[in-house]
Amino acid sequence: MKVILHDLEPSRSEQLSSKCDAIIEADGKYAPCQGCFGCWVKHPAECFMKDKLQKACRTLGRAEELVIITKNLYGSYSTNIKTVMDRTIGASTPLSTYRAWEMHHILRYGKHSLFKVLVYGNITEQEKATFTYMAKRNAINDGYNESEVLFFASASEAESAV
Amino acid sequence: MKTVFINGSPKKKISASSYLSAMQRLFVKGEKVTKQLRNKNDYESIFEELKDADAIVLSLPLYVDGLPSHVLAFLEEAEMFFRENDLHPNLYCIANNGFIEGRQNEPLMQVLENFCFRAGINWRGGIGIGGGVMLNVTRFVFLVQTAVYIIMLIITGFQTGNYFHEGVISAFLQNVGVLLFFNAGVIFFFIRMGIAINRRGKDFGKHYTRILIPSFIFIPFANLFFLIYSLFKGGLFRGWLAKK
Repeated sequence: MKVILHDLEPSRSEQLSSKCDAIIEADGKYAPCQGCFGCWVKHPAECFMKDKLQKACRTLGRAEELVIITKNLYGSYSTNIKTVMDRTIGASTPLSTYRAWEMHHILRYGKHSLFKVLVYGNITEQEKATFTYMAKRNAINDGYNESEVLFFASASEAESAV
Repeated sequence: MKTVFINGSPKKKISASSYLSAMQRLFVKGEKVTKQLRNKNDYESIFEELKDADAIVLSLPLYVDGLPSHVLAFLEEAEMFFRENDLHPNLYCIANNGFIEGRQNEPLMQVLENFCFRAGINWRGGIGIGGGVMLNVTRFVFLVQTAVYIIMLIITGFQTGNYFHEGVISAFLQNVGVLLFFNAGVIFFFIRMGIAINRRGKDFGKHYTRILIPSFIFIPFANLFFLIYSLFKGGLFRGWLAKK
């Protein structure tokens, strides 16, 4: 399954939906993670907040290939995208193991293949290095075999690169 | 000299971030203010304190290899605030993650450095701490054990007339020693970062430490912790490891 997570205008989803199996719109119409661990210890793979992200981890967890389209923010994902990532840690279990010689969570839905990030907007060289490093770290943490980060000047260029 | 401690954990109480920032506070001189950053309603009172701050100590948890999203949202506002008011305080960071390796905080540190560059404030480095959740748990285990020792002292006192039973006191001191050992790396860097802050914004650089336990012991204990925690919360009976 190929999943696209994007912070573009919601109207862009229609066009993008032909290129993937599922879309998550990071439109900011949801609350940030409260750090309660409920999606691990109380009601697994489900958030206590009843908004569109309540069961989003089940979609992200099943992604073979994940494509994230995000605006740059200090070499990190935009706030709206990062909220989705924080709210979907239910894709892993609370148990930990060694992965790539480090401690990481055991995955609820198993390993994935490609973690691809398409970054748009004004960005410095330092921020590019940070982003590439962060995506590599995310790929290890979430159990992806490889990560790829591409940079674009505008949102439309990033969108057409999917 | 004024230092503002900002706790970036969304948790209302007993967060590892507030515990660690309270520990760092002990080693900083001058005027000190601690603020909680949980949502947009906190911005205004934080900015009020930042107007005359010399140093900022941002204590926050690592979320998915980066900053918690509500802190990212705050930084966007803070960038404008620092630029509009032409402020250039020194930023220090205390990042903690649940995993044992403190170095897993590196991407978070880089993002904060990039933020400082854009906001025109001074990045002065920080401490990345592994096993933050476990450090937070150890303080409660310590408090419970201490309470048990006090009760034991009273009971043995009743029975023998000696209220300072050597066996119980030495067991308590051993307990203090173990807690200090677990925290030794963290305390060492808090003292050093405190010195840097007290020297009016000396550069500290990035340092990584952890709860001083080998990972092959830490991981089974972390798993045991979540097993017991899930048992009490009820998750264990709701398809704990199921794919759903």
